Amino acid sequence: MANQTQPPIESEQDVTDKIRQLRALFADAPELGKKTLENALREIKQQVSETPPPTIESAGRVGARLGKVSELTIIVPLAPGGAKRLRAFLRLLGGNLDKGDKVGSLHDMRFVFFDNDTRMLFATSFDGDWDAYIDDFVTQIPDYLDIIDSAWDGWPGIRSPGAKDYLAQHQISAESWYVANPNLTVAETRRLERVGKAVEEFLDKVG
Amino acid sequence: MAKQTAPANRPTQDLAVEQKIQKLREVFADAPQMAKTALENKLGELTSQASEPRSGMESAGRTGSRQGTVSELTLILPFAPGGARRLRALLQAQNGNFDDADKVGTVHDMRFVFLDDTKLLFATAYDGDWDPYIDDFATKIPDIMDIAFSAFEGWPGIHNPEVKDWIAKHQVTAEGWYVANRDLTVAETRRLEKVGKAVEEFLDKIG
Repeated sequence: MANQTQPPIESEQDVTDKIRQLRALFADAPELGKKTLENALREIKQQVSETPPPTIESAGRVGARLGKVSELTIIVPLAPGGAKRLRAFLRLLGGNLDKGDKVGSLHDMRFVFFDNDTRMLFATSFDGDWDAYIDDFVTQIPDYLDIIDSAWDGWPGIRSPGAKDYLAQHQISAESWYVANPNLTVAETRRLERVGKAVEEFLDKVG
Repeated sequence: MAKQTAPANRPTQDLAVEQKIQKLREVFADAPQMAKTALENKLGELTSQASEPRSGMESAGRTGSRQGTVSELTLILPFAPGGARRLRALLQAQNGNFDDADKVGTVHDMRFVFLDDTKLLFATAYDGDWDPYIDDFATKIPDIMDIAFSAFEGWPGIHNPEVKDWIAKHQVTAEGWYVANRDLTVAETRRLEKVGKAVEEFLDKIG
């Protein structure tokens, strides 16, 4: 095996500073938080200084990305009657949003009503950059976006030039973003699933 | 190819779906025009999707939704005094990368989003049932859970018998949930990634 080159590591001083700041902030934490912080500090220090994890980057206009996988988290106020319409739509489909397949770059997607049906959370994880991803939605499933998003207060319509601004305005970037398999796109995972099946068939034949 | 025979109960099912579609159109009567137009465009597709969904949303157990092997957990959590500041410091010390989640083994993705200084959104996609998932957090990364979650009002501690009630109380179940590769667990995807690499090496050798 070839030697892997280590990514640049943070200086010992930087790490010590960060840890000191963290301790100071936790001075007024509940006892439970303080105690466990001390337990875990050694481990955190190791993580920060010795094995820098893959870096979180920007997904483009807004949102966080780890490797190839980005997050989109939108919180919107619902328009009058919007919750009722959207619930009826989702219930007709039993909560199944099979047309998400058409987007192609979409890993997962959820619709969650909260604050007594006055607000909605729309959260997805997807491949690559924000702009291209929104374009995929717009070109692949524009009608579904209008059916769903017209429940959102102030939605200008997917074909409006203001649609991207509206989405960006309501999006909040995650402060922390974890992905188990950050190097796998939806498409690559599907290809690997086929490779796995082919290998099994191959082994069956030679076995 | 063999001819497919229609199931005997098909006409009744269609009738039920027709009624639901009719209901949906009534609910959409006061929707913005673009939503009504989009709905009319998609009526045919919606009817067939509702009659024969490709996927089947179910419960993830105590709370939350599931598609295939992949479930969603969505928590909206009130900060304790000083909690937002502490949690931000912790997440920044990790460079926004909560890779302790690797140890849990069943987490597909996970995000921390500050809705404002009073509430946080914690959303994950994970394998299997709610109960063992929470158990995995408690057994594999208890300390980091207490450090992070002591930022919230009323966090009882990961080892407290009431911790599951606390989590369930703050969870909001998604009304719509989509997963692209819903038959693949985190572990199976990692195995397939290895199979893919092995196949490439194999083909290189014989090529």
